[in-house]
Amino acid sequence: MVAEKSNKRWVSLSKARLDVTAAYQFLQTPAAGGIALFIGTTRQWTDGHETTLLMYEGYEPMAQKEMHRLLDVAMTRWPIHRACILHRLGEVPVTEASVLVGVATAHRPEAFEACRFLIDRLKVQVPIWKQEHLTHGQVNWIEGNEPPETTVT
Amino acid sequence: MVSFQVQLYSVLRSKLAEASVNLEALDGVTTGELLDALCDHYPVMAPYRNIMRLAVNQEYALESRIIRAGDELALITPVSGG
Repeated sequence: MVAEKSNKRWVSLSKARLDVTAAYQFLQTPAAGGIALFIGTTRQWTDGHETTLLMYEGYEPMAQKEMHRLLDVAMTRWPIHRACILHRLGEVPVTEASVLVGVATAHRPEAFEACRFLIDRLKVQVPIWKQEHLTHGQVNWIEGNEPPETTVT
Repeated sequence: MVSFQVQLYSVLRSKLAEASVNLEALDGVTTGELLDALCDHYPVMAPYRNIMRLAVNQEYALESRIIRAGDELALITPVSGG
């Protein structure tokens, strides 16, 4: 398990079940008037195929860095008091959470906007991949739709 | 020449049945040149040439980025976390 927590941000990659209550407690602050939480879960049915579980793997040290980089960008764009990105690795059965993104801000619009930005960019930039395990034993890697943006170095 | 080790994940790791591959190239090769050489050497990578990135020291690298001996390298096909 890789986890980093400060009083403003919490980034974690872990095989453990995601703890929604712990995330909510982390995001609570007197400065916040709104908290947006997005939870991604394993869906049972996709285009007529039945999923039994999703298996996630990551290039962990880089995934951790990219999650921090996305938080850096979000914190320059919106007045964020607290934010967290927690991603589960390994097997995630149907209905369970694979990812949790949370943002606490003074007012609701920026909480929604920043939360949406973080989950949308995570799905393009953070080096984590999922493999779907279907009924009848079929296993497929899910490939994303677009390559990550390169950083200028 | 230097032997560069390149980490594999996800679909490329499954297709090559290896967690990493090694490729000889000049010290100071660019990211684009190394990606071309990898696709020549491992044809299974070729369909991914235009959509995969090389991560150099845990950052997505521009194709002009120069790679040196000892850099940490990984091939990143389009990700699917979340």
